[in-house]
Amino acid sequence: MDTVTALLLAFISIVIINNLVFTKFLGICPYLGVSGRIDMAFGMGMAVTFVVTLSGTMTWMIDNWILMKLGLEVTRYVCFILVIAGAVQLVEMYVRKFFPSLYDSFGIFLPLITTNCAILGLCLFINLWEVDSLIKAVVLSFGAGIGFTMAICIMAGIRENLNLADVPDCLKGAPITLITAGLLSLAFMGFAGMIK
Amino acid sequence: MTFVIYYLLFTIYYCIDSAALHTALSSWVQPTPFLADIYQLWNSAWPAGLTMLGLGIGFAIVLLIASIKLKVEVDPKIEQIHEALPNLDCGACGFPGCGQYAKAVMENPELIGKCAPGGPQASAKIADILNLQVSDSGPQKRPIVHCRAHKSDKIFYAGYEGIESCTAANALANVQGCAFGCLGFGDCTRACKFDALHIVDGLSTVDYEKCTGCTACSKACPRNLIEMVPFSHENMMTVACSSKESGKSTRAICKVGCIGCGLCAKQSEQFVIANNLARVDYVKYQLTEKEETAMNKCPTKVIIYRGKSAPEPQQPKQKTTTSA
Repeated sequence: MDTVTALLLAFISIVIINNLVFTKFLGICPYLGVSGRIDMAFGMGMAVTFVVTLSGTMTWMIDNWILMKLGLEVTRYVCFILVIAGAVQLVEMYVRKFFPSLYDSFGIFLPLITTNCAILGLCLFINLWEVDSLIKAVVLSFGAGIGFTMAICIMAGIRENLNLADVPDCLKGAPITLITAGLLSLAFMGFAGMIK
Repeated sequence: MTFVIYYLLFTIYYCIDSAALHTALSSWVQPTPFLADIYQLWNSAWPAGLTMLGLGIGFAIVLLIASIKLKVEVDPKIEQIHEALPNLDCGACGFPGCGQYAKAVMENPELIGKCAPGGPQASAKIADILNLQVSDSGPQKRPIVHCRAHKSDKIFYAGYEGIESCTAANALANVQGCAFGCLGFGDCTRACKFDALHIVDGLSTVDYEKCTGCTACSKACPRNLIEMVPFSHENMMTVACSSKESGKSTRAICKVGCIGCGLCAKQSEQFVIANNLARVDYVKYQLTEKEETAMNKCPTKVIIYRGKSAPEPQQPKQKTTTSA
């Protein structure tokens, strides 16, 4: 029972309290780039969730079972990037095969998941937080993806309505989006400190 | 030079690290502290390299399998067709973009010739790629604006200060006297991707040099003033009015409106009168003297030429407004 509670807490923590986008300011590039429409934002969130779950799990395994055993912690970054790039390639092939229209609308942002710092950030955070079990690493990675999806969908919803708003000329486009992003993360600061 | 050879020798020597070689070589060179450092570095580097290599090969195999399983077949002909198209994504063909049109043509060759900006050349190229013969599709279509009233010709009842858009203005009654004529807020101008339409003194005017015939303007006009006409000649005669009002009311709201008097129809069969409005029948279109006479006899001079080198339209005789 304790493990289940711990896992649940870890999940809530990574989704809401330690949301990578809102509190760590990671993954801002797709967060601002693909949040124009909700359906695209959701697709992006799903792609990132898949990549981050896969790479978070794989990196934990590689880190704990290979790198630490061999004393090669120094190659962590390179190995992690390798894993993430491989996972993104997989996702790209999959999306191209089964969702061609989604593939077209993502454009450059799909391969750019490789350099999405939220993913590498999470892989390194898992290591930093000294996550000791595989199941916890899986839950944390999946939660990070869900948190990213939530953040980008909230942003897309706001931006869709923002299109109809009377924004001053000097703030149109990127500035108002950045202000919105700031206010959003300010709102999520209210959760800070609820769980560790 | 000697140093390089010395260095290489020792790198090889320590890599192989074979006892036999060691004894053989140590008889004539002694390891120095510097070389010992290199030795140590190498010793700690090779497991890292090997691990990376192993991981890399592992992922390469996974991706290789995935790329075979998830292969997307793209017909090279589709890419060729895509290249033959103008790549403007104007949507004249009825597809969102050139890519989708290329795919559709590939599957259904009947769609050849839908590309207005590409014209006959693009159609011929596509037919070439698909090993087909295209029949001549006749003259290319170009838009004609069925209104010739500039600001000074129109009569306004009240000023309009709403949204600068024909669609919005059209929703209101009495934005201008004529409920059929050009509003001049430029919905067509915004729809045109080729900068071929401009509002000149309150009237939408086509620049036939730039026009590609993509039909975007005729779809954008809320009053359906823009008709796509097959341009069999460089300049086409047309009745530049859409007013279906009776002759008297048309005269009251516009100086250059068609009053449906029927003088032109008496001169030539190519003019057809319906709903108080003359129209040119472009199926029969053939210019003779009769049409010229009809044009000159038109009391409001609403029969004009439109095209690349259209002559200046004649102005109607100033009629003294006695009725007012």
